[in-house]
Amino acid sequence: MNCDSILKLLPLYYYGELTPDEEERVEEHTHECTACTLELVQQRALAAALDRRKLVAAPALLDDCRSDLMAAIQGGAPRATRTMKGPWRLFLDAMAASFTGAPLSGIARLQQPIGALALIAIGFFGARLIHTSAPSGTGGLLSSVTSPTDEVYSTVRSVQPDNSGGVAISLDETHRRVVTGNMNAPNIQRLLLAAAHEDNPAVRVESVDLLRSQSGSTEVRDALLNVVSQDTNFGVRLKALEGLKPLAGDSEVRRTLRRVLLTDDNVAVRMMVIDLLVANRDDNMVGMMQGLVQRENNNSVRLKLEKALRDMNASPGRF
Amino acid sequence: MAQDAAGTAGARVSPQVDSLIRAAQAGDQDAFEQLVRTFDQSVLRLALNLLRSPEDARDVYQEAFLRVYRNLHAFRFDCSFHTWLYRIVTNICLDQLRKRKVRKEESPTIETREGPIDRMDSFEEEAAHANPERSLWNRQLKQRIDTALEDLTPRERMVFELRHYQGLRLRNIGEMLGTTEEAAKNCLFRATRKMRAELGDFT
Repeated sequence: MNCDSILKLLPLYYYGELTPDEEERVEEHTHECTACTLELVQQRALAAALDRRKLVAAPALLDDCRSDLMAAIQGGAPRATRTMKGPWRLFLDAMAASFTGAPLSGIARLQQPIGALALIAIGFFGARLIHTSAPSGTGGLLSSVTSPTDEVYSTVRSVQPDNSGGVAISLDETHRRVVTGNMNAPNIQRLLLAAAHEDNPAVRVESVDLLRSQSGSTEVRDALLNVVSQDTNFGVRLKALEGLKPLAGDSEVRRTLRRVLLTDDNVAVRMMVIDLLVANRDDNMVGMMQGLVQRENNNSVRLKLEKALRDMNASPGRF
Repeated sequence: MAQDAAGTAGARVSPQVDSLIRAAQAGDQDAFEQLVRTFDQSVLRLALNLLRSPEDARDVYQEAFLRVYRNLHAFRFDCSFHTWLYRIVTNICLDQLRKRKVRKEESPTIETREGPIDRMDSFEEEAAHANPERSLWNRQLKQRIDTALEDLTPRERMVFELRHYQGLRLRNIGEMLGTTEEAAKNCLFRATRKMRAELGDFT
């Protein structure tokens, strides 16, 4: 092997990523070649230098991350639910329809068992169809389903056959219902906070829009800040920013706004953040904006930043 | 070479982790929290070292584990949980790195009452700064290393980070990034070449 081909292998040799044969070839070669030995020494020196830039997360940062996450989850981060009516649901519907209810007469007496049989048949064929397409190994969650008619979500937790040929099925059921109430009612506010994390952006926009009027509450403020920092839909982020307008002087809000201005990839969001920041000037802003003007690659945002800076220089006490 | 205990531990198939996942899938919040605590230090370290910004690392942590929370029901045990989690984390980090490439790099300094300081100087580093005579050399080396790392493509940066700092095998890295071991090898080779070119006189 010549030096060129050995040089290509040296980084992988250093990281122990070569096959035993390749490793042996490298070692044989470097044993006799001073230039390649020197290359290997430099590879080690590079790695040692890079190790010096290894960062260790401060324990406080980890603690903050953990509490942020748990707060977000407890604040209502939704789990995804599936929308197909599974065979178990159909089966259970059928069983429920057959064995519950008051005594019936005439044709009505036959309706429920017939319905049950029909549903079992649908469930059977549905199961066959689903079996071919659904991945196996679903773990503890067999299905989480919705029905267009009964609006029941159900998850089967366990299925336990007994010795007498019966079966014990443990399941959770969630019924859909409509909750109405005043915007100030705590239960309505809790639901809106949860809805601000829903997968559907239209629901998020609506909820954030309604929450705007309640931005005086710390919980709502934090939810709006969370949306501004995290939401993937810029329309939702803009709505949340509108809600933060009255709080543009709050230090926590400003901290988040500064971070959003540096990281958000949407021009409209960055423009609105500048408006909110300049409405309440603080000492940290000028340096940050001056730095940003140099790096901002969108003309409109850059012009806005320049104007804001000019305004601040002209009348520093005005804001 | 930096070795990473959490990374290698995560790659092992652990019955304990499996039962935590199953319990969390069944809605057990405590199990989910324990699952997060098993892996979150290595996730935070990866994000912090890649993005070199505690604020961004915090965002990545939050986004990654919220995605895990929302999609855990879809985890089928057909790969290790560590690989599945790292697919999520690396995707988020790659997006961040790409955004930065487009919008240019975030300022390496932050404003404080005492004037501008290096963004990362407020953070604990493994390197000791006991020898004041070497502080200038250290500062220059630090800047050059940062420049060298910034000059890598997001993908090269990611492969290098996962191999060098997180101690993961290239085969696993390929799996996490949806590519082959060979492509990961090429990425690592290109990354080390670029860094050698940038840092040659320092090493």
